[in-house]
Amino acid sequence: MWDFSLKPPAQVHDFSPWTLPNGLFWIVKVPDSAVQFHDDGSVTLHLVDVPVVDAYTFPPPAQTVPGISPIQLNPAKLSLDITYEKGGNPHRVRPTSHDPLSPFNWAGMMWDSTNSGTFSLSYDDGSFSASGSFASNGNFGEIGFERNGVFLRDGDFDQSTDQSASSSTGSSLTNHAVVTSPSSAGERTVLLKGRVPVKVVR
Amino acid sequence: MARVKFLWMLFVFVAVSVVLKAQIQPIPNLKIQPVPIAGGDLVPGYGIANLFVPGPPGQVPPYDPLGAEPNGLTNFKGQVVMGYTSGPATDNKGKQYVVITDIRVYKGTYRGGKAADSVNTAGATVSDTDSGIFVEI
Repeated sequence: MWDFSLKPPAQVHDFSPWTLPNGLFWIVKVPDSAVQFHDDGSVTLHLVDVPVVDAYTFPPPAQTVPGISPIQLNPAKLSLDITYEKGGNPHRVRPTSHDPLSPFNWAGMMWDSTNSGTFSLSYDDGSFSASGSFASNGNFGEIGFERNGVFLRDGDFDQSTDQSASSSTGSSLTNHAVVTSPSSAGERTVLLKGRVPVKVVR
Repeated sequence: MARVKFLWMLFVFVAVSVVLKAQIQPIPNLKIQPVPIAGGDLVPGYGIANLFVPGPPGQVPPYDPLGAEPNGLTNFKGQVVMGYTSGPATDNKGKQYVVITDIRVYKGTYRGGKAADSVNTAGATVSDTDSGIFVEI
């Protein structure tokens, strides 16, 4: 959550399930009843009282000894409802790298996606609560099917030597060549996860 | 009759409350532990966050390129949903904010680790497969 009354605007709350000791990043497991996949390709998510923490910013405020000193985390509960919609043409993604640390070591078929929803949250001690709504507002989203890790097959790998993302539209397997213009100069953005600009409609 | 109706309503309320409380299944308690992707984004002051931030074509940086892995779990096969959003929020004192989100859903089969012999070892792992729905918030 960002405070735009500050000059410049700054992040003042950052709610997540936090990182597990094995590195799983901000992930929780939910029952099947929490998510509905519909025939029209839309997906609805309904979560109630998910245990989260407020780290205030991400990355969290600098530690006295990086990686050692405690990070201040305030426990809270988060509820939300989201509907994701599928749109556009599918693009096939082929792995172009065998490097396990690469972002291009997976295969799938993806479509563009938009989503919108509502949320409410409250600190466990009751000292802070908030609610609101959100929508894609032109920001990136995708939906589809994927496999990675041990589920990749040798035949999945792109035969080209290009190590960038190999992504194509429809049934064609040519490299993705679509380029869109960056955000216009007058558009307001904030930095998701400390670095990724997300368009803001206020 | 009114007493029976009250008790029935109380039962329903308690049952629903139990369902809601049980909604999140703590990952450390799962028999087969999911494993994070090996890579991710190197975040200054934090280290490697085991998650990429896929973005639209032509906007690299600050996003990772189109086609970057959207999943935080490795050894996974299934459906993936994600998207960045923004919107208005208000706190309990009436203060207004802008909320931005990156909430992802992963539904499918995963291959993780379980204790091969939790009695006679310290918990040494062996691979095994399970399925489920995970949400990145």
